[in-house]
Amino acid sequence: MRKTIVVLLAAICAVLIWFTSASAYKVFRADWRLPQTPLQESAEYRLVLITQELETPFWDKVGAGAREEAAKHGAMLEIWGSYNNDADEFLKKLEIAIHSRMDGIIVQGLDTDAFKELVKYKAASYGIPVITVANDVPDSLRRTYVGSDQFEAGRTIARQLAADMGQEGTVILLRDNGNAYYQEQRLDGIRSILEAYPGIELQYAETQGSREQVIAAMQDLMNHSPDVQAFIAANANLTAAMVQEIGRRSRVKPYHIYSFDDSPDTLTLLREGLIDGIIEQSPEEMGRISTALMIDWLEGRQIPLKTSGYHTEIRLRKAEDAP
Amino acid sequence: MNRIQNKILVLTGIVLFIMAAIWLTLTYYSRQTQEQYNDILQRYLRMNEVTGASQQTITDLNNYLIRPTPEHYEQLEQSKERLRRAKYDVFALRNGDNDFDLTSYTNLIDSLLETANRSMMFQAQMDTEDSNQAFNEATRISRSISDMTLTLLDTELKTYDRFYRGIIERSTELNKLGIWLLRTITFLLLIFAYWFALSITRPVQKLTQAAKELSRGRFDQEIEVSSNDEIAFLAKMFERMRVNINNLITEIQQKAQLEHELQQNKLLLQESRYRSLQSQIHPHFLFNTLDTLSKKAYLEGAEETSDLLASVAGLLRYNLRRLDRSVTLYEEVRVLRQYMDIQSARFADRLRFVEEIDESCLYVQIPGLTLQPIVENAVIHAVEPMEDGGTIVFRIAEDGDRIRVEIADNGPGMPEDKIERVLKGSAQETEGHTTGIGIGNVVQRLRLFYGQDDIIDIESKPRSGTKVVLRLPKVRRYEADDQRTDRG
Repeated sequence: MRKTIVVLLAAICAVLIWFTSASAYKVFRADWRLPQTPLQESAEYRLVLITQELETPFWDKVGAGAREEAAKHGAMLEIWGSYNNDADEFLKKLEIAIHSRMDGIIVQGLDTDAFKELVKYKAASYGIPVITVANDVPDSLRRTYVGSDQFEAGRTIARQLAADMGQEGTVILLRDNGNAYYQEQRLDGIRSILEAYPGIELQYAETQGSREQVIAAMQDLMNHSPDVQAFIAANANLTAAMVQEIGRRSRVKPYHIYSFDDSPDTLTLLREGLIDGIIEQSPEEMGRISTALMIDWLEGRQIPLKTSGYHTEIRLRKAEDAP
Repeated sequence: MNRIQNKILVLTGIVLFIMAAIWLTLTYYSRQTQEQYNDILQRYLRMNEVTGASQQTITDLNNYLIRPTPEHYEQLEQSKERLRRAKYDVFALRNGDNDFDLTSYTNLIDSLLETANRSMMFQAQMDTEDSNQAFNEATRISRSISDMTLTLLDTELKTYDRFYRGIIERSTELNKLGIWLLRTITFLLLIFAYWFALSITRPVQKLTQAAKELSRGRFDQEIEVSSNDEIAFLAKMFERMRVNINNLITEIQQKAQLEHELQQNKLLLQESRYRSLQSQIHPHFLFNTLDTLSKKAYLEGAEETSDLLASVAGLLRYNLRRLDRSVTLYEEVRVLRQYMDIQSARFADRLRFVEEIDESCLYVQIPGLTLQPIVENAVIHAVEPMEDGGTIVFRIAEDGDRIRVEIADNGPGMPEDKIERVLKGSAQETEGHTTGIGIGNVVQRLRLFYGQDDIIDIESKPRSGTKVVLRLPKVRRYEADDQRTDRG
């Protein structure tokens, strides 16, 4: 009897002590200091990639390429920017990047005075190298440009148009009124090919960026020239509204419609067969090359950079190729 | 010796120690937690401080640009200093996750300070337009700083999310620990206190029990207390007292017995003296008469009658004078022979007396008139009633450290109960005895004389006789007894 009680008490004692010590272990095991993620000592350069169109497939790819390259060289790279071509926000970010004294800024070119002023004076006064990517602004004193050769892109489209449409016909060139450098380049490229075809008549339409204005401009044009056979949108942002307006009037298929830039809109239209071809660019390459050039320049390995820029590959993607 | 006071001190010490340990641990723990909270809060506060300082700088700059008084200048310089300090503080918060943002952040602060300086410089040069432009830029930078603060705080929250959750979990766990600790300590203390109380009360209980036994008069049970404190000491003393009392009582009992024996001895002596006085009427007259009769008989030629009368006179003299002192066995045997002469004359051939005596044994001391009453008893019971008489055998022989004296007859024997009564000394029959001394008196005197119980034995079988055996020690146990008897 007495033995049973002693064993029982000892058991209770052991259980209590076990639970207490387990609890105490949990309480006192914890580390008292804040967890420190170690600093990367090798990260010499802070780079930033700024775009107006965050989280679009194109810029995601650019970003991915840039990150990959930065990681390879042990540089820190952040991707900043604005959504939906919000120019004000974009410029603000650029200004912050300059004020934050980044080691290098890779930026999507914006052909406005404000942008030029920031790059020309402010960035220069802080001694920050700027590389434009995808869209060029040559007179902004950027170090160099990495992206597609827009002139060549225009020529490619024009060649395809001539091949598809034949020697004669009316072509409407829809452009926005921003007079952006890359748009001019594209138009120059188109023009340089089509000059050789006297039978092809070029009509220019200029519009503001918004959807309503594009539709209005299209209506106006198509009223004036009912026999139009082909459309080229010099800016991918205009394509969707343009195709929609054409579709409202008649069947879309018979028209030859071309666009630049593989934005999600244009890709969908291409897949549906509503447009005949777009120019496909190499965004990952742009990110990679621009970052690599920036680091090279910072390390003084590649001085001077080519002012004309480093062109990445472009391909024409036709409706037939679309999956 | 482990004293009760020490025990209590130890118990109190243990309790105190446990409590102090818990208190210290908890204090340490809460200090650590507080420091941790302080660290965390500090991080947030420092970041917030940057925002505040930058906004203050902008406000002061604005004031200064509107009214460039020395007072405003002083204020502006102060807030710039504050911003600079905030910058250093915040720079210390760098880690792998916020390295990029934090570097940008500090650079922004530098830019703000620079722009503010530029604005002041232009103001000093009266270049209002440039000054305003710089001010606007500073304002924008300040706003960016505010934005960046939010971003940094956000990063902070993400980085330390798990850590903060860990803190919360730990505080829950601490509550649990408190409850478990309470249970364990309560349990342990209860057991310990029980055990401790038992270690004090159990010896006390034993002692109480022992005291109860003593008070009931049982002194023969040993008191045992197996602890090592004052109680054990007390128990030991108590035990010694018990043993002493026990010894004293035994001594007293022995003394009382001796006293009793002495008393009886005295009584017996008085009785026999009384009896002898009874038969002492005119002893000289009787002796002289017997002597005269003896000589007369001798002169008349009756020699046998003369001898008989001489024996009677000797027997009487011995009987009267030697009762209260020890004599040798030799004297006893002589008297016995005189007695047997008289009895032979009386019974003629009916009485046959056989002697087998080892003469070397006759030196031992023996109370007077012991053998005669026994033989007389045999004569009375075994010879007198028998028509054709009987035989009495008298033997003295050495038997180890004792002398063996046998008186045997071939009479009808004695019944068991009578033997018993005689041996107990309670038989007081004296009928028919010449000396007035019965066998019961002899038995008691022998025992008193030797201080031993196994002196006399009676063997008897119905119809085949009785044998009285005396086994006398060669050396007496109480020599003192003898002297006392002499004096008495």
